[in-house]
Amino acid sequence: MLRMALPTGRMLKQATPFLEAAGYAPAEPLSDTRKLTVPSKCGRVEYLLVKPVDAPLYVEQGVAEVGVCGKDVLMEVGADLLEPLDLGFARCRMVVAGRPEIERKLDNLLSPVRVASKFPRVAQHYFFKKGTPCTVFKLSGSVEIGAVLGLSHYIVDIVETGATLRENGLVVHEEIAECSARLAVNRAAWYAKLAEVRELLNNLKQAVEGGKP
Amino acid sequence: MPGPADKLSFPPGTELVFGPQATRRQFISDRIAEVSRGWGFTEIILPAFDSAETFRDLGGETELYNLVDREGHRLTLRADFTLIAAKALAMELRRDARQIRASYEGRVYRFAPSGHGHRVEQTQRGLEWVNARGATYDAAALVMARECLDAAGAENAIIVVGHGGFIHAVLGEKGRVERRLHEALDHKNPSRIAQLAQRIGIDDDTAALLGSLPLLTGGPEVFKAARGFKLRPEADAALAELEGLYQLLDEAGAADRVLIDLGEVRRSDYYSGFMFKVYHEAVGEELGGGGRYDRLFDRFGMDVPAVGFGFNLARLAEATSRNGYAGGTASAVAASEGAKGLKRVLELRAQGKPVDLKGEA
Repeated sequence: MLRMALPTGRMLKQATPFLEAAGYAPAEPLSDTRKLTVPSKCGRVEYLLVKPVDAPLYVEQGVAEVGVCGKDVLMEVGADLLEPLDLGFARCRMVVAGRPEIERKLDNLLSPVRVASKFPRVAQHYFFKKGTPCTVFKLSGSVEIGAVLGLSHYIVDIVETGATLRENGLVVHEEIAECSARLAVNRAAWYAKLAEVRELLNNLKQAVEGGKP
Repeated sequence: MPGPADKLSFPPGTELVFGPQATRRQFISDRIAEVSRGWGFTEIILPAFDSAETFRDLGGETELYNLVDREGHRLTLRADFTLIAAKALAMELRRDARQIRASYEGRVYRFAPSGHGHRVEQTQRGLEWVNARGATYDAAALVMARECLDAAGAENAIIVVGHGGFIHAVLGEKGRVERRLHEALDHKNPSRIAQLAQRIGIDDDTAALLGSLPLLTGGPEVFKAARGFKLRPEADAALAELEGLYQLLDEAGAADRVLIDLGEVRRSDYYSGFMFKVYHEAVGEELGGGGRYDRLFDRFGMDVPAVGFGFNLARLAEATSRNGYAGGTASAVAASEGAKGLKRVLELRAQGKPVDLKGEA
């Protein structure tokens, strides 16, 4: 049996029908349970319900052999794991956003731009690669306020439709990456449980190719 | 309580092991050392740091621990044994060119961000087999690694074998310099590989093979699967070499715990021939690894073929909760018994039995 780290919250709602379509329906509704682990009906998988940001660590350390992780979280956490399948749901974009009239261009500047984000590592890395000095402020929520009220010049955040940005009068200045849910696999499990992991990978791949479940 | 507890703690990432765990780890190391001696290896004791120059241009510079001594010399704590061993052995080879078998144990230092449970200080035991050319030595290194794992009690460990030359040949000049492509291959991420291959302008045949590499893990059937793609002559040669190695192991009855991974890219710059990593289902990260590095001595102006491998002792200990190590029940002797007690201790020790001298004298 493989243990699969599943992020609770919004992604869980999208993951559940997908896992059902792939033949791994949970034995009880995952969103209602207070349990930390729930087996699948087929008995091939045990779901481990964790905070989204913790999922990569559980997989990296081998506590869970596999996991469903948002690409945004994978980028931020930087865990050392395998990423053999794009599951296709929970699509969003990681962007640099700010007020439209912002004067600070993202070119090579000699004084730091101020950036607020829930993804400080992603933000730091992105500006570092551009050669733009930056000061990153880590926020835990409502990141838009950072740019609206002038805490920072820019924010780095994920957007789905862009509605929240628009409502706050912000625009996307640059796109960092396209994100979606990914199947993450522990490096040791990829080899030590080769057959089981391959079976899971193939079934999930079929569910992805079968379109939206 | 004498003083605040924070005065007693060490910086994050340092390694502090005490008690039975440390004893058990030393036991594992001793068993591996025994195997090494059995194969004719002698120990080599190496410097903990060297001139910063030695570690230049190797990649991973930001992970090194650098220091400056009182005279202004820039030094680096060893982050890896192979390079420092090669340098030491190069001196020896200049004096007398011959085959050398050397085994070592000690700490290496590499920066690791906190929060991931990774250690800055890691203890390794490994070996270098220098002036060892040819497939028989490749197979011998793998057979020996396997014997070390058995001796340590990690019989279920899996040895994953790839080829540094294969991945290089497949990537070609264009792909080799693309760090992001290496990353995508390292994470076995086919959609990212396909995206990058297109962006870089890699030809269709190569892109098809690159996209399939993540799944070319398994038994000898992966050789056949790889031949289904159009291969450059150098890639074909590397594949043949790896297949030959597998056959050699198979004929020697030592291929049962071996998996082939043609998609392995990590440290492929370093290994000129076969390379391997060791995994165990009880531990999330690799227990060790090694391979052939025939170009390693180039930097010392010498042409010396070599193979080697090393184990991370902490992870190996994690994988081997049962490995024949037993403290044994010690006979208690009271310190208050004085000379009589000491005599009793001497008798027990002469019989090789464990003793537990305790109490007030």
